[in-house]
Amino acid sequence: MTCKTINEKLDDLLDGEVEHAQRELLEEHLLSCANCRSIVANARRLQSLLQEYGESDVPVPDAAFFDQALAKAAHRGSRDERQRYWLKGFGTAVAAGLALIAVGIVFFGAEDLPDTDTGMPSVTMALEEPRTVNLVFASASDLMDATLTVILPDGIDMAGFEGQREITWITSLKQGKNVLPLKLIASSPRGGELMATLRHEDDDRTFRLHVTVI
Amino acid sequence: MSTFESNQATLFERLLKPHMQRLYRLAYRLTHSKPEAEDLFQDVLTKVFTRLDEIAELKDPGPWLSRVLYNQFVDNHRRYARQRLFKVDEAQLPGRSVETLPGNLDSSSDSERLHDIRSLEAALDRLSDEHRTVVLLHDAEGYKLEEIHQITGDPLGTIKSRLHRARARLRELLESEEPFAGRQRVS
Repeated sequence: MTCKTINEKLDDLLDGEVEHAQRELLEEHLLSCANCRSIVANARRLQSLLQEYGESDVPVPDAAFFDQALAKAAHRGSRDERQRYWLKGFGTAVAAGLALIAVGIVFFGAEDLPDTDTGMPSVTMALEEPRTVNLVFASASDLMDATLTVILPDGIDMAGFEGQREITWITSLKQGKNVLPLKLIASSPRGGELMATLRHEDDDRTFRLHVTVI
Repeated sequence: MSTFESNQATLFERLLKPHMQRLYRLAYRLTHSKPEAEDLFQDVLTKVFTRLDEIAELKDPGPWLSRVLYNQFVDNHRRYARQRLFKVDEAQLPGRSVETLPGNLDSSSDSERLHDIRSLEAALDRLSDEHRTVVLLHDAEGYKLEEIHQITGDPLGTIKSRLHRARARLRELLESEEPFAGRQRVS
């Protein structure tokens, strides 16, 4: 039994999947090797921390949420089924009339204030340090298939879309306030203006945000 | 709702209820966001209602439901490359935070545990999506490797290798933290 074997069998050891005879050999090695003892102890500690994280972290909704979710699914599912059969019979589709977007605002941290010279909201971020900016859109009703386009100034990237200056999503909005968190990273001290446009049918709203990099 | 539809709804509830919590937890693990998890969960429930006959024939619908949810998640994120907006209260806007820990807490160990959990969260954020998903499903949610294989459709060998690498990377990240390294137990 060697340190290499301990490393190879570590996952099986943690998951209790080592046969009795091999387990005895592993334990024998651990008695004589402080380095492997430390590795195994840390691995077990991580495992226990992950278990604790699993128990603590998920904000599981109450029973009422699950009851409502079931009822909604049954209602929508039945409606979809009826519509499916109806469509089969008549070979046509119904387009629902949707209300327009009411208003849009940019929500940002307490330390960021609207720029007094331009009236444009502004956000300050440090070079190479990710910063999340929350764009909040208020909608008068549920909207399906709205298009959201974000245009970034040179030197400001969005995490996951590095190098892209224009990013577009198809999204849906619920009645009320809807938030889109944008994780931004500044790769140059230049800063500039970020523009987000939300479009639905013939209606659109554009939000501008001044980004300062320090 | 007709009598037939009402009976279908009752059957749906009976078949789905035992799996709801675990299914929701999976949605949360994949999306890392309560509003997104709720949307994903609702979408899946609506989708599977139309496949009630199929569910009724399954001996254990759990893995099947998990797989439908996982596929829906992948569809939302890969096929449309779309990021959903979600409805929130403004008070919810800042990032995730750990508000409660299980068990009986005493003030001396509480802050230490909270620190460890926060360090773990930060380390998990630095893993790739594939590695984070496997380690969270296996070590935090208690899914067996075979179950993860059934949910994701990835080969078992790939899942094992991802778990090994994810655990090793987490240890590496956490061991550089003084309190974690300082409190290691030597058996």
